[in-house]
Amino acid sequence: MKTKSVKEPIRKKWIWILLFINAVLIVPWYFPKGAVEPFVFGFPLWAFISTFFTLIMGAYLSWLCISQWNIVEEEEENAKRKEDVKHG
Amino acid sequence: MDNLTFAGMDGIIILSVFAIVMLVIGYYSGKGDTNLHHSLSGYYLAGRNLGFIALFFTLYATQYSGNTIVGYAPTGYRTGFSWLQSISFMTIIIGIYLLFAPRLYVVSKRRNFVTPTDWLEFRFKSKAVTLLSIFLMLWGLGNYLLEQLVAIGQAVAGMTGGTIPYEIAVVVFVLVMLAYEWMGGMKAVAFTDVMQGIVLMIGIFVFLAGALYLVGGNFAEVTRYIADNEPAKLGVPPMEVSVNWFSMLVLVGLGASIYPHAVQRIYSAESERTLKKSFARMAWMPPITTGLVFVVGIIGIMLFPGLDTAGSEQLVGLMANKIAAINGFYYWMMIIFFGGIVAAIISTADSVLLSFSSMLSNDVYGKFVNPGATEHKKVMVGKIGGIIAIFFLLMIAWNPPGTLYQIFVLKFELLVQVFPAFVLGLYWKRLAAKPVFWGMLIGAIVAGLLTLTGYKTVFGIHGGVIGLTINFVVCIVGSMLVTVSAEKSLKKDELAVLELEA
Repeated sequence: MKTKSVKEPIRKKWIWILLFINAVLIVPWYFPKGAVEPFVFGFPLWAFISTFFTLIMGAYLSWLCISQWNIVEEEEENAKRKEDVKHG
Repeated sequence: MDNLTFAGMDGIIILSVFAIVMLVIGYYSGKGDTNLHHSLSGYYLAGRNLGFIALFFTLYATQYSGNTIVGYAPTGYRTGFSWLQSISFMTIIIGIYLLFAPRLYVVSKRRNFVTPTDWLEFRFKSKAVTLLSIFLMLWGLGNYLLEQLVAIGQAVAGMTGGTIPYEIAVVVFVLVMLAYEWMGGMKAVAFTDVMQGIVLMIGIFVFLAGALYLVGGNFAEVTRYIADNEPAKLGVPPMEVSVNWFSMLVLVGLGASIYPHAVQRIYSAESERTLKKSFARMAWMPPITTGLVFVVGIIGIMLFPGLDTAGSEQLVGLMANKIAAINGFYYWMMIIFFGGIVAAIISTADSVLLSFSSMLSNDVYGKFVNPGATEHKKVMVGKIGGIIAIFFLLMIAWNPPGTLYQIFVLKFELLVQVFPAFVLGLYWKRLAAKPVFWGMLIGAIVAGLLTLTGYKTVFGIHGGVIGLTINFVVCIVGSMLVTVSAEKSLKKDELAVLELEA
């Protein structure tokens, strides 16, 4: 296997630092207690911001899965193609 | 949901249709596959050949149970906007998968793992670690299954307006589940999950649409109402709630990602590409599943003000009644929706049962009782063992033992204790068997005792997380002191697999 093309999330520190920061921003510990106003789309501001960062996390994780994870994919897909050629 | 009067006979018809569809799918997924019942990986992992659609839906329908709707909407009703945490803790599960699934997938394919225990045995070569982890995982799975069995009965009895009594409902659906699982194993579980997952998704959307219709289509009005009447449910939560939120992220993220049935879905993937595509889609599911359920709970605050805890548990049923009264379309959609809830519970229960059976087959019987048995025999033992376990759990569900009932509540708290061994073991070669064993044991005891003595949380932190922290410390400090490392305990070829070199 060519180690050059291998991408494994665990090996990249920035992935986990960003994920941690993202989680810290989701939890509303940094707002003054009890604050409600102003409302954004019917959500109190803190809830809106928390939801925003939750969506960011979903997008971030989804992107990580696709672009930062590649260990045996080429090997497997090549093997599959060969198999297809043999049978088809 | 005792007072659900809208369904009755119509509910029975829809439920019967769902049951028949499940049986047909089960029959066809097993038909013609002679290998299925003669191989552990064929039966329990669908021959390690699940494609994108089946894998995605089986991840989805297993992770989100009918409980996600029936239980989470009332929680949102009671706690208000801080229940937004349900979206984030379901999302972070994918982040935790990224921590270990990529490498575990490769190792599992190369070494033909069937159960999570196979991995632990391969890595630590320790009977003590293997046995303790089997015990913790079976215990957690058993309780999880028990919870689903109770939920099926409540949902069906609610839906049919009590026409079908609780016990009969459970027995009928359990039999349907056992039948299709018997015929098709993981294949049947995954293919029925496609149908069950789709019904659940559509159901949630329609349910939300109906709920919004009832409040005049304006969510801002709902929050204004809450601001005037119950401002505490709207304001920034106090610090303890935030701490609890963090704790939930840790407990659910780590616990749900290493559920044995979740791990086995990693093993079952047809390819790395399929697996990562499925996870990438799963990362988007929390907002449109727990997120929508959260909104439903919030709308409930305006529609049904002043319900107490027991009353609020009926929220979904109460709301469905109102929505069904809107017009004929909503009436039928609500019946299908309730059928969807039942289907979603079954889709979770079947996966848990299959995982439970696989551990009986492969771990308990195959590693300790009769290692020389043929795979066909091992599969058989798991199937029959699973059926016996189900009926045992049903007896507990119907005759809950008075004081001991609490021990059947422990799930996450115990299961999550396997995490350090499972994930740290993938990357840290010094991690040694003895510290892993003691960490797991002490962590489980601490978590169990805290929960059983009423300290489910301490300053907002879950007993399970406290146990897990101690567990990690014991594993790490102990391994630094012990000199045996993986280099010594693993053979050269095994080490190469672990380092992704072979």
